Amino acid sequence: MSRETYVTEALGDVYQRVKTARVLMVGAGGIGCELLKNLVLTGYGEVHLVDLDTIDLSNLNRQFLFGHEHIKKSKALVAKDTASKFNPHVKLVAHHANIKDPQFSVAWFKSFDLVFNALDNLDARRYVNRMCLTAEVPLIESGTTGFNGQVQVIVKGKTECYDCNPKEVPKTFPVCTIRTTPSQPIHCIVWAKSYLFSNIFGIDEDESPDLDNSVNADNASEIDNLKRENTELKHIKDAFGTSEFPRLVFEKVFKVDIDRLLSMEDAWKHRKAPVPILHDELQLVADAEVKKSAAKVASDDQPVWSLAEDFVVFKDSVERLSARLLELLKNTPEGSARPVLSFDKDDDETLDFVVAAANLRSQVFGIERKSKFEIKQMAGNIIPAIATTNAIIAGVCVLQSFKILNNDLAHAKAVFLSRQPERIFSTESLQRPNPDCAVCSVARCGIDVDVDRLTLGNFVEQVLRGELGYSDEVSIVTNKLLYDLEFDDNSTKTFKELDVGDGTFVTIIDEEEPEGSTPRVNLEFLVYAKESTGDVDSSYKLTHIPEIPRKSMRKRTEVAQEGVVEAVPFSNGNGSVLAGQKRKAEDDELVEVRSTDAKKSKVQIGDEDVIVLDDDEAIEID
Amino acid sequence: MTEEKLISAEEIALYDRQIRLWGIAAQARMRAANVLLVNTGALSNEVAKNIVLAGIGSLTVLDGQTVSPLDLGGQFLLEESDIGSNKAEASAARLQKLNPRTVVSADASNFKEKTAEYYANFDITVATELEVDDLISINDMCRQNSKPFYAGASIGLYGYIFADLIKHTFSIEREKSNISVKLGPESASRSIIDVIVKKEGPKLKEIVTKQETYKPLSASLQSDNLSKLRPRSLMKISPVLPAIKAMWNFHKDTGSQKPTNETDLADFHHLVVGACRDFGLPVGIVSPGFTASFARNIGTELSPIAAILGGVLAQDILNYLGQREQPIQNWVIFDGDSSAAPIYSL
Repeated sequence: MSRETYVTEALGDVYQRVKTARVLMVGAGGIGCELLKNLVLTGYGEVHLVDLDTIDLSNLNRQFLFGHEHIKKSKALVAKDTASKFNPHVKLVAHHANIKDPQFSVAWFKSFDLVFNALDNLDARRYVNRMCLTAEVPLIESGTTGFNGQVQVIVKGKTECYDCNPKEVPKTFPVCTIRTTPSQPIHCIVWAKSYLFSNIFGIDEDESPDLDNSVNADNASEIDNLKRENTELKHIKDAFGTSEFPRLVFEKVFKVDIDRLLSMEDAWKHRKAPVPILHDELQLVADAEVKKSAAKVASDDQPVWSLAEDFVVFKDSVERLSARLLELLKNTPEGSARPVLSFDKDDDETLDFVVAAANLRSQVFGIERKSKFEIKQMAGNIIPAIATTNAIIAGVCVLQSFKILNNDLAHAKAVFLSRQPERIFSTESLQRPNPDCAVCSVARCGIDVDVDRLTLGNFVEQVLRGELGYSDEVSIVTNKLLYDLEFDDNSTKTFKELDVGDGTFVTIIDEEEPEGSTPRVNLEFLVYAKESTGDVDSSYKLTHIPEIPRKSMRKRTEVAQEGVVEAVPFSNGNGSVLAGQKRKAEDDELVEVRSTDAKKSKVQIGDEDVIVLDDDEAIEID
Repeated sequence: MTEEKLISAEEIALYDRQIRLWGIAAQARMRAANVLLVNTGALSNEVAKNIVLAGIGSLTVLDGQTVSPLDLGGQFLLEESDIGSNKAEASAARLQKLNPRTVVSADASNFKEKTAEYYANFDITVATELEVDDLISINDMCRQNSKPFYAGASIGLYGYIFADLIKHTFSIEREKSNISVKLGPESASRSIIDVIVKKEGPKLKEIVTKQETYKPLSASLQSDNLSKLRPRSLMKISPVLPAIKAMWNFHKDTGSQKPTNETDLADFHHLVVGACRDFGLPVGIVSPGFTASFARNIGTELSPIAAILGGVLAQDILNYLGQREQPIQNWVIFDGDSSAAPIYSL
């Protein structure tokens, strides 16, 4: 009779594989805490966990391995300490680090029998997906949003990978909606956060990556207006830190700019015209009605503040933020970069500014004002997260891991938690890889490179043309374009000069389309940087000569129709969790049915200028 | 509304990510709740963890047994140093650390000594891993006090949840659909009693209030509701349902917990087939292979299965308290081999 008795009886032979398995868990947040508990209790031989995050108060309602005393400490290290008590026989290794660090090489990934993703963002999910495909290690991918969640099993060449289905793009808004014609609270929130805040306390708009103000014939006069607004704002910034500053900003954005908008009469023929707010009038109301201090008003995040309260908080937060920025400036040594403030939903001063400014603007445009609590969620892309959903999804991850360890992929499932009156889960058999997937349906090859010696020109000439038989018509990309037929400026540069180092993926896209055939699939090189030896012949070495098949002739849209039946009824906060669509046949065999995201692709940015709600701040989808 | 006022700013910060899901009124109702867990095991560990983290008012763990090495395989609230101590006391101490705001107490007495007066103290009673007669008795005592009752077990790779919420009113908030909602019965157990439409920004929202009426466990086990299904649907009913009934019957008949030899196994298979007939199910849904697998799992517990069932059960408790979302009506049957978790109304 021991702790192993029950698991041996229930799992039978699979338990022997569990006991000797070496697994990696990426992410020690909501799903991670639950998953680690299950892995440790079930008796997995060795578990490595990686997380770069630290513990926050708002984690404690679900990340049960952490307590109050652990706030600000490493999630990975604390999770390891707490979970090791559940079963001292399991070997636990914690890494407080970014999974994208070069120390976590392909070889290191290869050393695991299985990888679990318990992540909260699209970027890291995609990265681990790609590393697992390269290392040929099975991956169990999972995500939750509120009451809903899902688990996906990914095995290279056998099942769909994370990127076989396009993911929802981050929500974007045309610049004119944000700057000229807002109609919803979110438009005013984005304006307050991405435009007004960064213009006053952050980098100048011209440098802001969020905004694209490219001029075309249609919007030329509008862009002109916006430019004038900016110039005026810069002028006002001369008064920065003076007692007049909050009033000047207020009058500029809620009166002067609005008057200018009103002068574009055409714009308001079929639309409700904005109504400017007069500073001195509102000041009188505030003096008469607001008995609380601004700090006291701002501390109450549940009710929607009165207009006068918004006014008081706006002026107070401008004052406080200006003082903070001046303090930073004072302490910045000559010659170093000018300090800036950036919006952070957990930084109350910045949040108060955004709440008050957004609500004042809503008032101007006759839009409903919102509470601080609600605006925090919208401005910070907060995704609701609860313990139960994470516990359920983590449990499902472990059940799927039994199938993989038992080499029983045919009975592994994609599992969706989206409760209906008649069932808790919807399940699907795993789908075959999308033959046109740019991530998993590519040829792969490792290349040892003397990065100080190998030039891009030599690489094209010797590797691509010489060894692999490519024509001139290729493009070479990393996270940027390095080379194509019309762009050979980089030919004489070395890999090092091009910033292509250890662990970089270099993708070769075949642009040659021979008559009656198709281009070859993409070839993805993983670069291993080598010490310079001075030997001319050894500036590179391929790990093997890859087979590079041609792309399938089949058009994806033809098969697309078959599979798509119903959209999964999930609201997916940051687009990083769900494949987005579900196929009809529950429990079908491994059939080649493709779902597309034809509809979603249309959400893609058109020609209009857009503001991208930066995804960096999305918090919890783990 | 007075309840809402009681939620402090500090609590809002701690419970931020869940208040955004179920609202502050539901959170206040959770905080006012007093829950009892009868018997500890891997499943009750999970239920307790989830409702304590969510911030229920108080939790009592009732268990007269002592910790054995077997418990350590699935119960994260216990450690090797607890072997030999009372299970309720050992796990209550660990639970308290998960949330200092919840009042956690241990009751080290035998549940069989408890009377209906005892169960009147709790807003919800959850009994796990018990034999059917004990479950029925506790359920009946809860009913005498008009208090809701949940039962559940994590049986190796399998498991179940049973709910008797007597009469429960709840609301569902959603975007208004094109089809107008009609008041009146919606299913054999559920009716729509109110609809409010309100404007939220550019969208119309509807709040639909429904009521579910439940049966006690004793009546539910006699139900032939499933036999009314079409043959196609009947064939898809999980064999785990009759196997659970057979598991209880096997214990009643033989006094032993699980089949240990070929003769036992054959007897057990007959009991599963018999249970199929009781429920009006085709016996074809049960294969000897399944019976053997289920029999092997009886009396064992696995952490991932307990986590799934405990997550589902705890969320139902929280939904009940919050008076939101469709509750379980009235059985969840779980098969961890296929990750299937159908809900049957019996």
